[in-house]
Amino acid sequence: MNEGLSALVIHDIKNALALLEAELEQLNHRADVPDEGRKAYQRCIELKNRLISFLTLYKHEHAGLKPNIGEVYLTEFLEDMIDASQSVALGSKHGHAIEVSVAEDRIKIAPEVKRKGIAAFDEYLVDMALESALNNAVRYAASRVDIWFEQDADRLAFFVLDDGPGLADNIAAQSPSGKSSSTGLGLSLCNAVTAVHGGGKVSLSNAAEGGALFSMELHHNG
Amino acid sequence: MANILAGKQNAVESEYVRFDSLSALVIDDIGAMRHALRSQLQGMGMNSIKCSGDARDALKLLESHQYDLILCDYNLNQSSSGQHFLEHLRSEHLLSSKTVFVMVTAEAEYAYVANAAEYSPDDYILKPCPEKRLRARLERLFERRNFLMPALTAMDEHNYELAVRECDRLMQPVTDERWLMYALRVKSEAQLALHDTENVLKTYDRALAIRDTAPWVKMGIARTRMLQHDLETAERMAKEIIANNANYVAAYELLAEIKHLQKDEEGAFEMLQASAKILPSAKRFRATSESAFLLGKLEEAKDYSESAIKLSSGSMAERPDDYLALAQIQVDSGDSANAIVTLEKLARKYEETGMFGISKNAILAQAYCDAGDRDKARRLMERSHRLVTAKTDSSAMNFLGKAALKMDNSILGLKMLTRAIQSSGKEKKRITRHVTRTMIDTGQHDKIGDVIDAGQRRILVLVDEAQKLMRTAQFEAAHEKINEALDIHAENIEALLAAAQLHLLWLKQAGMNDEIDARAKEYLATLDKLVPNNEKVMSFYRFYNELTGA
Repeated sequence: MNEGLSALVIHDIKNALALLEAELEQLNHRADVPDEGRKAYQRCIELKNRLISFLTLYKHEHAGLKPNIGEVYLTEFLEDMIDASQSVALGSKHGHAIEVSVAEDRIKIAPEVKRKGIAAFDEYLVDMALESALNNAVRYAASRVDIWFEQDADRLAFFVLDDGPGLADNIAAQSPSGKSSSTGLGLSLCNAVTAVHGGGKVSLSNAAEGGALFSMELHHNG
Repeated sequence: MANILAGKQNAVESEYVRFDSLSALVIDDIGAMRHALRSQLQGMGMNSIKCSGDARDALKLLESHQYDLILCDYNLNQSSSGQHFLEHLRSEHLLSSKTVFVMVTAEAEYAYVANAAEYSPDDYILKPCPEKRLRARLERLFERRNFLMPALTAMDEHNYELAVRECDRLMQPVTDERWLMYALRVKSEAQLALHDTENVLKTYDRALAIRDTAPWVKMGIARTRMLQHDLETAERMAKEIIANNANYVAAYELLAEIKHLQKDEEGAFEMLQASAKILPSAKRFRATSESAFLLGKLEEAKDYSESAIKLSSGSMAERPDDYLALAQIQVDSGDSANAIVTLEKLARKYEETGMFGISKNAILAQAYCDAGDRDKARRLMERSHRLVTAKTDSSAMNFLGKAALKMDNSILGLKMLTRAIQSSGKEKKRITRHVTRTMIDTGQHDKIGDVIDAGQRRILVLVDEAQKLMRTAQFEAAHEKINEALDIHAENIEALLAAAQLHLLWLKQAGMNDEIDARAKEYLATLDKLVPNNEKVMSFYRFYNELTGA
């Protein structure tokens, strides 16, 4: 298949998926929505997120992503991301709501940072990367997820911490049906996003206080 | 509001946006997409939502109503994009300052270019966008708009002095730097509209002190320096912007203007080429083609002209003038056969009246003359000439002048070119270049100075006489002189300015008189349309308001 046709087909699928999502979203506004409707909506969102992650990665590897750098107010950016997150809204797969918040007490800003709490990056790309980490955290959290950032003069790091069973159990809990590939896709996406922002580091580890800790560092100068 | 005044960081969150009172226009070529967006907006409480499947239809809706929100898809159809639509709305002043324009796009990279354009949307959202995210975006945008509302209202009413005062008032209690930047931006736009270059630089300085990276501030300073004829500084700043962001289209366009003022037309052409390459649009192709044509680069002129036609065909950016420009380029390239095809076949849908009729027949006359059919050429030229009136625009007269000179009718030719200069108004520089080109092409080098002088002199002499009469309060006599000048060309700016000035003085001395008042208002309205935001016109308006106590 030639490239133009593939692009057209993918574009079509993406649009169709977006429409399906919008329709399911409307359905879920109704008070009498059946459980199946809710699940279908959730599945549709997951599928869409995976497709977008995949397309972004594909573009990164084949054409190169061009970041659209703008000024971002970090606390607000994280709050908006949580507000807009569909997985947070729909609760965890265990059927009870997970409390997700910006952990203001964990935020650290080095004294030499000139514009405190403000950074320059492509907010869509970083949002997309962090949201995939957030979705993952919400999936495994017991009751809460904390998000925060640390800002130095030449480094910006985001953290997502859940109070779930931690990493080894996460992996053990994964079915062979493709969940692990979705996690892998998420991490690759995060790596691509840091790469186009001048490099950085993405890691997933067990937190000292329990649960899984995701971090994404952007190395930048300003 | 109390929180905003206190300048708390999270002030904006507590300011509740009432969506139920807002009206929206959704533009998307896919029906299901329109439906989905409409449902999302309804979910937020909006009741007054109109939908449209294409830009033309949307334009009609915009004629009768100003919407609070426009959600526009970027990929409208093959011939026109959301970006073209936005550029059209902004350049034709069809959008209220209070309207929030949001581009909906599937391509993340679109934003990379669009944000660097002069006509950028207030925001853009990536498809697919869940309702919660859309709501969060819109809340922020409307909080910003509501904060700026008094200033934006004044901007819409062209009351720029009030807009400046409102911005100052809004800024006074605010400490959040973003809100300050919003207000400073509107203030700078109002000051630019007032041509208050001295104070607008102070506004930019204040913005720079808050944030030294905002490109609109640097662009503003560069533009102001250009207006102050400090071309060196303007050029340096525009180049700095490009060094930071090689895709910043507006900086290339500004550089083209600067080069033009420096009489470096080659340089201007290069900058226009760069801008058309980064963000192609019919308007940019058109400008680049004209620049090439005036430099005698006929090959390039033809390519860009054809691109302009191709890109605008079937969209609202379509212009009959594009076919005229292309045909003239073809004639000048010695390709009269294709010039005839362009006008007789490709442009046959346009009615042969007014400016288009005069120009089309004049260019066809040139083409048939070159092809050796002198009889037909003469008939076409006569037909063109018969359509000329006192209101005929300069470029039509330039085409006719060229036809006449080519057919050795130098009396008609020089007369038309002189009139082209006379009626050129604010386009004087541009038309002068076209007329000069015409005279070079037709071997009239020696008369260029005479034609340009004569064209400018006659109306100026009449205006001068009128002004002398005005000073001695001979209003009726002054009015006659001005009417004579306006008979030569109804839209001559100097004559209209004198007419407005005369009627204001008349009103002041003779007291209120309905007839004079009506005429004064008409002249001012015409001027406002022809030269929006002109400093002199603004001062006339102020004077008029003082007189009538409005």
